[in-house]
Amino acid sequence: MRLLLDLREVANHAELRRLASEADDHGIWGIVVTAAPGAECTEAAAIAATTNNVSILIDIDGDAAHPTTLAEEIAVVDQISHRRTMALLRGLATHRSKVAALLSGLPVDGLILAPPPAQASIPVYAPEDIPAVSLVDGSKGNAVIVDQHRDSNTPFLIISWTGPIKGLARHLVGRASSIDFPQMIADLADQIDPIE
Amino acid sequence: MDMGIGLWCLQSTTTSPRSFEQAYRELIDDARLAESNGIHSLWLSEHHAYYDGYCPALLPAASAALAATNRLQIGTGVLLLPLHEADRIANAANLLDAQSQGRFHLGVGMGYRPIEFAIKDRNINERLRLMNSGLDVLQTEINTPTWVGVSSEKAAQRAGRRGLGLFISGAFSRDVVNSLIAAHRMAWEHSDFAGEVPPPVGLLRNLWIVDTEAERRQALEWVRSSYLVYAGLGWGVDNTGVDFVGEIEASMDEVERSATVGSAEEIAEELDGYDVDLVVCRIGYDQPPRTALTEVIERIGRELVPLAKELGGQR
Repeated sequence: MRLLLDLREVANHAELRRLASEADDHGIWGIVVTAAPGAECTEAAAIAATTNNVSILIDIDGDAAHPTTLAEEIAVVDQISHRRTMALLRGLATHRSKVAALLSGLPVDGLILAPPPAQASIPVYAPEDIPAVSLVDGSKGNAVIVDQHRDSNTPFLIISWTGPIKGLARHLVGRASSIDFPQMIADLADQIDPIE
Repeated sequence: MDMGIGLWCLQSTTTSPRSFEQAYRELIDDARLAESNGIHSLWLSEHHAYYDGYCPALLPAASAALAATNRLQIGTGVLLLPLHEADRIANAANLLDAQSQGRFHLGVGMGYRPIEFAIKDRNINERLRLMNSGLDVLQTEINTPTWVGVSSEKAAQRAGRRGLGLFISGAFSRDVVNSLIAAHRMAWEHSDFAGEVPPPVGLLRNLWIVDTEAERRQALEWVRSSYLVYAGLGWGVDNTGVDFVGEIEASMDEVERSATVGSAEEIAEELDGYDVDLVVCRIGYDQPPRTALTEVIERIGRELVPLAKELGGQR
């Protein structure tokens, strides 16, 4: 299971960029970003241009524009991000299926997307496809929650987290991606290299 | 007079095929190069559903270029407003304005390709109405500098009446350019927006700095061939005698005559004859090798920008 750090509530652009960059540096697999309708991919593109590794799940109002427009914007972000883009499309399922088809390089109503996405196919999800939880830094319950979702075979988990991103990376990224995470190693790392 | 460069279209054409990831990476590289050479702005251009991937989503591309730079201004030259939902464009423009501390310019135009309207389920015959209703939204909701791309006096007058900037296409003769500027200025003077400072005028010019006759001939060939893209797109401009569909060779000749190719001093002298605030040097052709493009960006910054500043001082 891969963790996606939820940055949708961060309104300040500079702070958003800082957190995205920190997630990028600390090996968080992905982040979730959004903005006012129409600005979602614009926000994501700025982050894509200033990060190198982190995947970017863009939370988009799928009813605010023509499906072709949405697919074009997402495909451009995928080119800018060098294949790190995913989409969470709210709204009509019919729009979502059209966008998903276009972002897979398939023709829809006689149209093939140009440019195509950089990836073979950009993943497109509905909000209900990806569970989201809010975790508190240092809580003993975090491990249980992450274990439960990992063991339920969900591929992604969106996490709201206000603590240090390095703490999320140290204690929960490895746990999410492994069935036998050695917690004592993470605890030892806290002693060797305390996180401010 | 400010000097910008354009038009970055992020294409992979038949003459110069490349990966799109490379195209978008080079946009960032070119923006940084332009900034480091003191160039005012870099401008992007939009089309949809064209075989070469001509960029259909300018605001994400602009966002990336703005995020990668600190002083360079980024503009759309132009975004095809009738093909978009204006309130979404307003939201994105406001975000770019805030993110970049005012370095974003929104240039908008109407579009002309039937297929682009068809794929967005819009009627091309309603493009003027869509343009006007879109501008109504933008003028209410954004503070971003807004320019209107025009190719006719009527369009220039519409921009002037709204108090919006003018962005003039690149292949027009001096007479046509001056008539567009005059129409824009007069409409503004008689509008509710009239005041001390007229809205800005930007001029796209096919331009290249060269030292020899052989280089001049080469640059003019690049300019000519670049308009094959527009022939493919079906661009025919009213009121100018330039019709890239019906009379391609004559159109190429017209483009060549309107191109500004020479030394920086010769180019500055030519530009001095235009009453404009911004010149966007159209150098984003698909044929020049990468080394030639980066060299001309450096030369525009090093040689032409200082001369253009003097022109501005005289004015």
